[in-house]
Amino acid sequence: MRIQHIHVPDQDLLLLADGELPKRRSVEVRSHLEACWTCRSRLQEIEGVIADFVHLHHSELDPRLPLAAGPRALLKARLAETAAASPERERSKGLHSVGSFRAWSYALAALLTVGLLALVQRDLLPRTTRLAGVKDGSAPNRELTPGKTRPVTWDQVCSDGYRDMNRVVSPGVQRQVFKEYGISGTRRQDYEVDYLITPELGGADDLQNLWPEPYSSTDWGAHVKDALEDRLHQMVCEKKIDLGTAQREMARDWISAYKKYFHTDKPQSIDSANPAEKSEHKVGSVKSTKV
Amino acid sequence: MPMRPADSPIALQLVVTTTDKPAHSSGLENEVVDLFDQLREPIFRYALSLGLAADDGEDILQEVFLALFRHLQLGRDRANLRGWIFRVAHNLSLKRRFANQKAARRGEAGGEMADTAPDQAPSAEEQMVFNEKRARLSAVLRALPEQDQRCLRLRAEGLRYREIAEVLGISLGSVSISLTRSLARMQRAEGR
Repeated sequence: MRIQHIHVPDQDLLLLADGELPKRRSVEVRSHLEACWTCRSRLQEIEGVIADFVHLHHSELDPRLPLAAGPRALLKARLAETAAASPERERSKGLHSVGSFRAWSYALAALLTVGLLALVQRDLLPRTTRLAGVKDGSAPNRELTPGKTRPVTWDQVCSDGYRDMNRVVSPGVQRQVFKEYGISGTRRQDYEVDYLITPELGGADDLQNLWPEPYSSTDWGAHVKDALEDRLHQMVCEKKIDLGTAQREMARDWISAYKKYFHTDKPQSIDSANPAEKSEHKVGSVKSTKV
Repeated sequence: MPMRPADSPIALQLVVTTTDKPAHSSGLENEVVDLFDQLREPIFRYALSLGLAADDGEDILQEVFLALFRHLQLGRDRANLRGWIFRVAHNLSLKRRFANQKAARRGEAGGEMADTAPDQAPSAEEQMVFNEKRARLSAVLRALPEQDQRCLRLRAEGLRYREIAEVLGISLGSVSISLTRSLARMQRAEGR
């Protein structure tokens, strides 16, 4: 027999009102509400607070809303501009030009090189990685995160819109990465799930290319890696190094790569190494805000 | 540890991108503008509630919908676009706020600090407009942990629990607990 006098907790009342209660429980709660004036008035009180909050929310913020016309027109113009410079156009244009064909072969060769080198490393290097900083997590576990690329061309990587592509790591994927690395609970707040090979340089959205990078436990943190990514991207687009080399350097040992390309043994300060600001909440963050 | 082919630490993808279907740009542009029309106000309110000034809110709006365009152009996941849009807006807003605070600390932009956190300090004028009950409610709201405020604001913009969970990177249960707790606090302040 159901015990009718045990009242429904506020949380369930709110879940019911929001249509978020599992079906079976919602039948139970509804039938309790029919019988119980106390819970029914409690639900009304909750609805009352919600109404007051919604009113406050709008009365605080609505007066500050801008008119739609200006921003809408601006967006349309920028969309047209972005569409004109899109990778699709670049690509179809590229298929008919010798220069781009060369870039294609170049990228393909680079990908092959990365793959072959990785195979060699896999066989020759000891399984336990000997990377600097690996103990504090600033370098990934190579077994779990060897790095993975997607097929991209130099033209794509260096097109205007490319650097601004979003690189949100979804919460689901983040959880998988944390699970892989055995990081649980509140400890997860201390890490950013980051790409080993940055997507800006053709890094893949794949578990093999993602690892939990500590925010602050080391000098070699996320912001230092960001600076290296910027530097490598710049060098690739200035044709100072090829794309495959950049990908390989990131995948093998990004800290050594930093030392090599910044000509230093210690990370430079955030401000001097990377004038672009560091994100406050890098987990799942969008990498670039420049348009 | 997940199963992976032992011989492919870096997987080679030799099927190059010509196999992608070229996106139909003008159709996508219209779709993005439609979504802009639908979500402009909710996104803008949310950005303001995170403590951004109106100018920053406008920038964020543009960035969010340009990012959406690229997202769609690349043929990425279309499931729950509203959740995706809010998540990007959330991340960009926090990033902008952090940058503003940093700039203000450096003293490069005097007075910008006040703009970056208008919600923390309502003006005397604003206070007068509020009646007593609303002023109390508003004070309680501001005193809530930031994450709790965000849950409330997102819910007020019509997001379902799973969308809120995704935007904030927390569990469904945390969303439910947060909302219940916040409403209870506000209710006590109202003396209901």
